[in-house]
Amino acid sequence: MYLTRRNFLALLSSAACSSLIIGSDAEAVAGKYATIIDITRCDGCKGEAIPRCVKACREYNKDRFPEPKKPIQPYWPRSTFEDWSDKRDLVDTLTPYNWIFVQKVNIDGKELNIPRRCMHCDNPPCVRQCPFGALTKQPEGNSVINDKLCFGGAKCRDVCPWQIPQRQAGVGIYLKILPKYAGGGVMYKCDLCKDKIRRGEEPACVIACKERLGEKAVFTFGERNRIFEIAQRKVKEEGLYLYGSSQNGGTSTLYLSNIPFEIIEKALEVNKERFKMAVNIENKIITTFNPIGKVLLLSGLLSLIGGIVGAIITKKREKGVLNEKKDKETQSC
Amino acid sequence: MKKKIKRHSLVELIEHWSVAISGLILLFTGLGCLPLYKRYYLTEVVGFGWTANFYNVTLVHYLAAIVFVSAVFFHIFYHGFRGDKELLPKKGDIYKSVKVLAAMIGFGKEPPSDKYLPEQRIAYVGIGLVVLILTISGIVKVLKNLEWLVLSPLLESINTLIHTLFGFIFILSFFIHIVTVVFIRKNWPLLKSMFTGYIEEDYIKERHSLWYEKIKKEENN
Repeated sequence: MYLTRRNFLALLSSAACSSLIIGSDAEAVAGKYATIIDITRCDGCKGEAIPRCVKACREYNKDRFPEPKKPIQPYWPRSTFEDWSDKRDLVDTLTPYNWIFVQKVNIDGKELNIPRRCMHCDNPPCVRQCPFGALTKQPEGNSVINDKLCFGGAKCRDVCPWQIPQRQAGVGIYLKILPKYAGGGVMYKCDLCKDKIRRGEEPACVIACKERLGEKAVFTFGERNRIFEIAQRKVKEEGLYLYGSSQNGGTSTLYLSNIPFEIIEKALEVNKERFKMAVNIENKIITTFNPIGKVLLLSGLLSLIGGIVGAIITKKREKGVLNEKKDKETQSC
Repeated sequence: MKKKIKRHSLVELIEHWSVAISGLILLFTGLGCLPLYKRYYLTEVVGFGWTANFYNVTLVHYLAAIVFVSAVFFHIFYHGFRGDKELLPKKGDIYKSVKVLAAMIGFGKEPPSDKYLPEQRIAYVGIGLVVLILTISGIVKVLKNLEWLVLSPLLESINTLIHTLFGFIFILSFFIHIVTVVFIRKNWPLLKSMFTGYIEEDYIKERHSLWYEKIKKEENN
């Protein structure tokens, strides 16, 4: 094999180019759409057995709910596994069968109803950290779990500041690979009715809320810029508090409340709620990993230059030694 | 004292050990990026509590990657520009490798070797390819997180899967490399040379006779 300097450079540049192919439907960084959830308007659908948003979500997504193969094996060497299939009717928490719920919290005698679902972060840790690429951020701004690729390790739930994704054992690709030793099912969460929003329609929860409350609907869904403008205007004009625009580096879900979110956070903590709403949430990808990533790229570039310079210097030195040897030999002749 | 011959320069030793040590850390933290350590109680072992937090594991993975990527880039460009070809496979290496491996476990006679064994040259390209794919897919992940590179959801998934799958191949290659060096007595002098840079002349005369001939020829010239 003969490797010239030209061949070597050609090989390198083609490798670099092929690694940088950019998709045609490349992800917009922040995403196309956003949602306002105005909790000053939410009464949890008083008098109705199931809040409309929850009912609509369950109805629209029912064909995608997991049907586990039983008996379910525990996650060896542990004796536990996560199975919600016997609790499909639960509507007051997040489960693999319930992707949105209305959280109730009492603050100074006033009941707040907070619809809770995935926040659809701008830089989602669940997407960035999934080792199997099962989670992706779509151009519409929603993060989506591919149930065909998900191993159910629940890392997405661990890295999510709100612990939103929920696991069901006994389903998914892990059953075909190492069911006893790795994987644990499939993770489920709101994907903002991905097919509907791709078609330009609104998510099922938003439509259901509008049907009940009309212009006073809790949910407002639309183009991101317009939604952010409406939210900011309401903050200014109505003195409301905003949640979701800065948490975890920004999300596409904006909560509006007339009670400061610090107080809501405290109340949820006191109640030891499964799903909390911390106000100070740092996105470590942005604050920690990205600066290190820049150092990594820079050091790679410097090493590349160092390698070329080193090669030239050592080659020159070797040539010099060789010439010296030849000169000595000629002199001795 | 037996005469020794220089086999590796200081640059090569630094390259090898920086890839080896950072590679080992990347391998451990890479496995830790999968949700396995908590399940298998490793997080409860004294000194490993930090692995329970994925952010800690990713942080160490990123830090080790700085050393790894730097060493890989330096290696490619340094030896690429020098035109070093000793570790690149030659015609007939596959056949000779089988003979070398058979001889290692006591079957037949080992063919005469150059500076590197034929199976070392093939392994170098194999591991090198795995390392290159891991490095490129890892850099793509960094660029994607920085939002300097915007990938379609499908390409993002493919890149992540490639990084994880090749991580497993890297673990396997690393393991085979360690086993062939540590458990095969005949290879111990090669391991020693990876620390000192030097190898005994008698060993070269016997196992790397083609290289020995070249050295002698150069000395006589």
